[in-house]
Amino acid sequence: MRNREEKGMFKRRPLQSKSEVWMRNIVMGILVVYMAVFLIIPVIMVIAGSFHQWNPLNETYNWIGIENYVRMFSYPTFWQSMLNTVIFCVFVVFFRVTIGLAVAYALNSKMTRFKTFFRTVFYMPTVTPLVAVAYVWKIMYNPQFGLIDKIFGLDINWLFDSKFALPALMLMTVWKDFGYAVILFLSGLLSLPADCYESASLDGADAWQTFRYITLPLLKPTMLFVVVTSIISYLQAYVPVLVMTKGGPGTSTYLSSYLVYDQAFKQYNFGYASAISLFILVLTAAFTVISFKVTGNKDE
Amino acid sequence: MIVILTCSLTACAGSGDNNAGKETGTKDTEADKGLPVMGDQITYDPNHLVNDGNPITIDWWVWASEEMFRSIADAYEEIHPNVAINIINNPWDGYFTKLPLSLQKGEEGPTLFNIHNSYENLLMNYIEPYDIDTKEFIADYPSAASHVKDGKIYYADYGMSTGMVYYNKKLWKEAGLTEEDIPVTWEEFIEIAKKLTKFDEDGKMTRAGFNYNNYFHAIALGLNYQFGENMFSEDGRVSQVDGVGMKKAVSLLTDLFEKYHVGDKDFGTDCEQSFYQEQSAMVFVWGFFVNNLKTNYPDLEYGTFEIPTPEHDTPYAYYRYNGEATPGINKNASAAQKEVGQDFMRFFFANDEIQIMLSREGGLIPAKEALMESEELKDTPIVRTVGPHIDRYIWPGAMPSTLENNMKIAGEDILYNGKAPDKALKNAAGIIDVDLANTDFTASENLYQYYEK
Repeated sequence: MRNREEKGMFKRRPLQSKSEVWMRNIVMGILVVYMAVFLIIPVIMVIAGSFHQWNPLNETYNWIGIENYVRMFSYPTFWQSMLNTVIFCVFVVFFRVTIGLAVAYALNSKMTRFKTFFRTVFYMPTVTPLVAVAYVWKIMYNPQFGLIDKIFGLDINWLFDSKFALPALMLMTVWKDFGYAVILFLSGLLSLPADCYESASLDGADAWQTFRYITLPLLKPTMLFVVVTSIISYLQAYVPVLVMTKGGPGTSTYLSSYLVYDQAFKQYNFGYASAISLFILVLTAAFTVISFKVTGNKDE
Repeated sequence: MIVILTCSLTACAGSGDNNAGKETGTKDTEADKGLPVMGDQITYDPNHLVNDGNPITIDWWVWASEEMFRSIADAYEEIHPNVAINIINNPWDGYFTKLPLSLQKGEEGPTLFNIHNSYENLLMNYIEPYDIDTKEFIADYPSAASHVKDGKIYYADYGMSTGMVYYNKKLWKEAGLTEEDIPVTWEEFIEIAKKLTKFDEDGKMTRAGFNYNNYFHAIALGLNYQFGENMFSEDGRVSQVDGVGMKKAVSLLTDLFEKYHVGDKDFGTDCEQSFYQEQSAMVFVWGFFVNNLKTNYPDLEYGTFEIPTPEHDTPYAYYRYNGEATPGINKNASAAQKEVGQDFMRFFFANDEIQIMLSREGGLIPAKEALMESEELKDTPIVRTVGPHIDRYIWPGAMPSTLENNMKIAGEDILYNGKAPDKALKNAAGIIDVDLANTDFTASENLYQYYEK
């Protein structure tokens, strides 16, 4: 970065007038207040709360040291929820990226017609409210009158069978979210330099080689963005679980964020929920750093 | 995340039409209304002014039966035209998260609010005790004795509810059954349920004789009494949901589906819905189902009978019951709001018509002693069905919600995840006991007339 500044690429321009200084201070002030209110203070409260038996609803706040953490690590449901979260993230991110990239590639092809129509169709689930989508899928999964069993001639109680409940949630999530990846990959594909493809064509590269050695490497920043934002958002996923399974059958579809919700807003163990939240926060931060380290831009 | 969610819920808690405390409406100048004094021990003389006759609005939070509570508010407003009561219906999901946050807001929050006793520990900090003599209270409402704290009553019960078996009369008749066939023992029940169960030519169930899907845990919690074991230890602080009695109860319930095939865990996900659609001939649901049926499926003909027992002899107890809690008064409300709240609650307790209506609509046995034998209630399903044995039902106390929540998980683990009942119940007991240790809950089983350690 310093090199670029020295080269004049990001040379700082001195502030020109008092009004500009005021504008800067106001904007920065708002941002600082926003960050403090919605990020720094809550995080501090969660850190403090995780060492307390805490229930703001009946104003309980008793110091209990690391008891919440001890309970967390010895609680089988916590480990199950973490395992479920990993499975959920890996599968959903994989299929979101794969389907999203495949569809975007197809839409980007010169042979495809009605591109706007298809773009709209694929993006529609993404802009539909998650709660509404989850309810519709819940009905579709019903073993007595659900569309899925009817169409495929199956007899599966999708949301009440521990073998199928989590995959059922993952299928719904992939359907709901792959359109977002389509749009991002499509914009990435449209911005790729045409001369690379011309060179590849002159060198006699076939379609697969062009995709493998030109498109994929050039799409790496978009891919990284989609993967990291997907993982962060799926680590926080709890709405599909809340609407469709309530964590069941038993605890077989508990995701880590649903466990936080369950402990805080159903069991009213806010201290314990804070300990789990903090663990997820650290995990997410660590994962994000690792992702950038492993796949980050080598130019920087 | 949880702090932000809490903050957003606080915002939601005040998002309704809130006119509480605002002085709009009619001024009442006539103290003498020419109306008779109501009540037995708790009396209510309507011939007075509330809030000096000045207009006042209060909010009353409920989670269901809005029209029923509206009619009570209307009756009160008719006597005191200067008072306007807003009924604010908040769905059950989230009710007990939003309510305490709203009660912290003083006069901006509700003055009156409905309570479920499993959430007592969340709400006790916000409840103003009733301004009614405790002895008079207990004389009218004997079950209020179990709610006395420091000599005061913060909330009580207006009715007692319990579970019973509901059967579809049409399907019953189709199977060649009559009223004479109503079963007393589980063995008899299974035979009846078999006759009501139907399968297609592929062996797939098309009608369940009995269905408890989504209700397994609710039946199991209390069925242990039939096998002679209490739900809590002698000191009332430790659960026995992994005890012998509960294991027998769970075994009986799983056998109904897995051994006798009178129902199936995969036959629909909700027994109530299945009963509405006439796909299940019998279900075991609590008294509130009477009102649900009346409201949603008034043409469905049904009958009720008492939960069966292992033998023809009287069991240690048939099942558990629970009280339907009376509204609480917000101690953080303004003095004027609290005055109206106290006056309203005295009217609520003294008025027999209201108590009868609440019992009829809610499928309850009235808590007011004078009404237990009343003509208006003797034909209600619950009074007819469990009335003769109500002394053989146990109130375990205001059980914290952790019991139902964790027994639901255990039930699903047993039914759907193939977990061994012993292990599932032991897991549930472990979590419940940790949660109970963080509350001041003590079971009330020792108040049972036939209590055995």
